[in-house]
Amino acid sequence: MNADTRYPHLDLGDLIAGATGQSVGDRAREHLADCEHCQLEANRWNLVADGVRGLAADAPEAAQPAWAARTRHRGVAPWRRVTLVAASAAAAMVLLGGIGVAAGVVHVHLSGPGARSQPILTAVNGCSEVEQADGTLAHVDGRTLVILTAGGRPVTVTTTPSTFISMSGALLSDITDGASVMVSGNRSGGTVRAAIVTVGQPFGAVNPPGLAPLEGTVSDASTAGFTVLTSTGARLAVTTSGDTLVIVPHASPAQLKAGTRIFALGNAEPDGTLSARAVAAVSQLPPGRHIKVSLKGCSPSSMVYALGTISATPASAR
Amino acid sequence: MNDLHQDVGAAAFTASHDPARDGAGLLRRIGQGEEDAMASFYREHGRVVFAQVLLVVGERVLAEEIVQDTMLAVWRGAGSFRGESSVRSWVIAIARRQTRDRLRRRRLRVVDDAFLADQPGPGPGPEIMALDRAELAGVKGAIRELAPAHREVLGLTFGSGLSLPEIADVLEIPLGTVKSRLAAARTALNRTLEEKGQNR
Repeated sequence: MNADTRYPHLDLGDLIAGATGQSVGDRAREHLADCEHCQLEANRWNLVADGVRGLAADAPEAAQPAWAARTRHRGVAPWRRVTLVAASAAAAMVLLGGIGVAAGVVHVHLSGPGARSQPILTAVNGCSEVEQADGTLAHVDGRTLVILTAGGRPVTVTTTPSTFISMSGALLSDITDGASVMVSGNRSGGTVRAAIVTVGQPFGAVNPPGLAPLEGTVSDASTAGFTVLTSTGARLAVTTSGDTLVIVPHASPAQLKAGTRIFALGNAEPDGTLSARAVAAVSQLPPGRHIKVSLKGCSPSSMVYALGTISATPASAR
Repeated sequence: MNDLHQDVGAAAFTASHDPARDGAGLLRRIGQGEEDAMASFYREHGRVVFAQVLLVVGERVLAEEIVQDTMLAVWRGAGSFRGESSVRSWVIAIARRQTRDRLRRRRLRVVDDAFLADQPGPGPGPEIMALDRAELAGVKGAIRELAPAHREVLGLTFGSGLSLPEIADVLEIPLGTVKSRLAAARTALNRTLEEKGQNR
């Protein structure tokens, strides 16, 4: 298969150089012209390289960093302002009510009952252009949500297809065969007792400490549990119960149930409505408690993390 | 004849190394607090860093946060750049540390499975044919299923614009280990394609 015996086969460095468009020596090029073995190898590496580049080309645009919107500001440098927010968030990450979900970039402050005096829309620390609406879902009309604040005042929250909408609670029926899940729980032998199950991406929004996360695909789903097939081919049994918190990071307005607690982050419109960028429907939390959200910057990812933190608030925090 | 310089799609990912833009001067300006320089730096390196991090962690939101943290580290540490490596390998090394720290907090083993990642696979056999017959979509899907250490070395090799010695510096392993890890990654890719029946 190799007609050229005057020069050894191309080494990996030559093949990688070829696949990355770097120059190779004349002898290597001449050898390749006559060597079927090396041509096959070059084709294989080219395909691998194309696969990596294809994945990169498919990657979405990253959210604009927080500093990009602030480049006209003077005084404290943009990243240092972000650092101050992050540092204060980290220092205050021990939440009232025993909530210990630390995303590292957001601070969710859970206060006690008595929020009757809360305004309809409240400012969000860390991003001056975003406001928060917090209440109970009254009804859904298409992509529009109407929620009632703790004081009984209605707020209209509009969403678009790009609005991040998550829901959480005892949603065991949302764990179905074929679903991609991340399970946080206590492992005993080959079985995991699930405390939190996140159904679908992004898993990174929910990261309770002290629990070993397990990622994989669901099979054999039932009311008592399911099996997770991991990327390495391992199969682990997962048990669920009424205490298992299920989080669905990507939900549609039609899936939201009246009576659910709603936390929405977005832009206040002149007509008093909130144009939501992110919405969390949290059925495990009762009305009467106000959750104050702080963000690190205005990026969509910060909002997703913030609402993911709220979504992971366990019922025990009542 | 096979064209060794065939480079389909390279422009979509592999960045050029333009000394005028990829030099230490930009970092000096960042170190002096010039926000416009930081914006230029992000335009030059942000996309590649994000793609590499996303390839390793597989989650967009998490990747965005890691890139944010990386750029924060660049803003704060630009003055410490000594020019002992290229700017691209310097920022990717920062992103790798940020990724490792973030995933360590999540208790996920991602870049510490080097032992398994470097184990040589079997020699050419029937599985090699899977890659010979695979189509691009199948290869992309199979890469996503590789171990993180394999995704990482493939991304650095074909997506970051770094040379193999630079990749060795970023990964803090010998050059020979980079090559053996690349070979192991391709063997794993073949195996995945074979198992998925992607060969046509």
